[in-house]
Amino acid sequence: MAHSRASWRGQRGAQAFLYLLPSLLFLAIFTYWPMLRAIAMSLLEWNLSRPEPVFAGLRNYATLLADPVFHLVLRNTAMLAAVAIPISIALGLVLAILLNEPLGFLRGVYRAAVFYPTMIPMAAAAMLWVWLFNPSIGLVNYYLGKLGLPRVEWLYDMTWALPAVMISWIWKNVGYLTILYLAGLQAVPTELLEAASVEGAGFWQRVRYVTLPLLGPTTVFVVVVSLINSFQVFDAVHIMTQGGPADRSNVLVYFLYQQAFRFWDIGVASALTALFVAGLLVFVVFVVGQMERGVFYEV
Amino acid sequence: MKCSIRALPRECAPAGRTEGSLRKIRRWVARIALHLALGSASLIMLVPYLWALTASVKSRAEIFTPTPQWWPRAWQWSNYVDVFRYAPFEIYFLNTLIVVLGILAVQLITITLAGFAFARLQFRYREALFYLFLIQMMLPIHAVIVPNYLTIKSLGLLNTQLAMMLPFWASGYGTFLMRQAFRQIPAELEEAALLDGCTGLRLLWSIMIPQVRPVLLAFSLISVVTHWNDFLWPLIVTDTPRVRTLTIGLAMFVQQESGADWTLLMAATVMVTAPLLVAFLFLQRRFVESFMYAGLR
Repeated sequence: MAHSRASWRGQRGAQAFLYLLPSLLFLAIFTYWPMLRAIAMSLLEWNLSRPEPVFAGLRNYATLLADPVFHLVLRNTAMLAAVAIPISIALGLVLAILLNEPLGFLRGVYRAAVFYPTMIPMAAAAMLWVWLFNPSIGLVNYYLGKLGLPRVEWLYDMTWALPAVMISWIWKNVGYLTILYLAGLQAVPTELLEAASVEGAGFWQRVRYVTLPLLGPTTVFVVVVSLINSFQVFDAVHIMTQGGPADRSNVLVYFLYQQAFRFWDIGVASALTALFVAGLLVFVVFVVGQMERGVFYEV
Repeated sequence: MKCSIRALPRECAPAGRTEGSLRKIRRWVARIALHLALGSASLIMLVPYLWALTASVKSRAEIFTPTPQWWPRAWQWSNYVDVFRYAPFEIYFLNTLIVVLGILAVQLITITLAGFAFARLQFRYREALFYLFLIQMMLPIHAVIVPNYLTIKSLGLLNTQLAMMLPFWASGYGTFLMRQAFRQIPAELEEAALLDGCTGLRLLWSIMIPQVRPVLLAFSLISVVTHWNDFLWPLIVTDTPRVRTLTIGLAMFVQQESGADWTLLMAATVMVTAPLLVAFLFLQRRFVESFMYAGLR
């Protein structure tokens, strides 16, 4: 009896291994191996002037850290996260709370209008915004003028290129965040809200003291998803500004793309990849740690 | 507490009429304010696309008016035909379809198998292996494009549709979703099937998969939207129109036209976005529920 159970267990172990094998194969080739390989390649001098790689120690890291453009890129990426994420979260939260009120048949219309940019490729969304931000015939400058505000050169302006990218990013992402918050709101028990109404709480009080505290876990999730998205911004920059003018809208992944596929400096690009992956892993370990401590998914 | 006591007699007593109608008015004002807020938010969200739509059917001259013309004077549908003269969007469309469906087909197999193993099978290092899968969920492919490009190059797969699909064939995220779904199935169902001699892949196929069909559908919609919109990876592993997808085709079209002809650029943009938007219009509930479900996990 014991014997047959053991062999059954062994069989199940083999079965599990077979079921995991296809996934593990692709993960090994395209996720784990490239992480290790990036570290190895970051120690090589391998670029246009040296097509045959040679060992270079930590020189690529030194090059990177001494590059003022790299510092600008880090600042731009951080700026994008620090400005665009709070704005899109605030908008998503407000829209979700409003959409959760009784609205009749119009709810579907509003929800579709807010959510549809999620269906649009970021590359195409960026095209829409290039057209809107056109300095001479763009809609944005026309209405700014109507409001008596100064017209802006947007994508050609040192100060306004990055905000323009952020605006397109917010427009594209806010609907997704709204939907995440709507899902969170549906988990808020209606009895709680009704109890609050009976106790005489108005709309604002219900939001402040019942809804918002219960949306805490959703907010943590939304922040994590948004942060990971914001580190990866590429399409919008590639289409709208090519990182310009003067790298004022250059961000991490676009800089990585330039190092590897414009300047063909594999060594420096690999050093950047290694730092990027290390940063992400630290971030992930931190987040998973928080998850295990039960900050997440309480509702 | 104060209000709850006062509210009752107000509803019953006829003397409270005026106060009751005041309350009604306030409720109407609140409702109108709500619709005004959501209506203007919706309008702001819609403007970018509507503005592109009108531009896509304008004549070249009508683009350069000093005040924006929301309604084109002459509808020039030929812009959409002209786009095809400059770039092979029909090929891009076909390539996108092949890549998106190719990714999805293999993903459905890998995530179902792995998700089932993590949810219902006992084996050593299960937790540790699951963390390995989670890494991929959090570590975007954008971070490792350089080594992956070199891998694809040494496999001789540059400029193939296979190259655009391969890195996505395993999905940590999909595995995570499927694990959650398989966990919800009651153990009795599995035990009954096992007693009937239904094991292995047959158990998975005929008993378990029907139970998780909604999750598979949700994942499929998200996967299709995600990979329809892929940009960076297809951009670096292709350099001929023959294999390129819609998003890359659009970007190439922009560079080739260098912003000169806005009517054609907007027509191309609308065409690239139209298939998913039309699907969304018809299946709005499905899409929204899928994104909600997947976001919750």
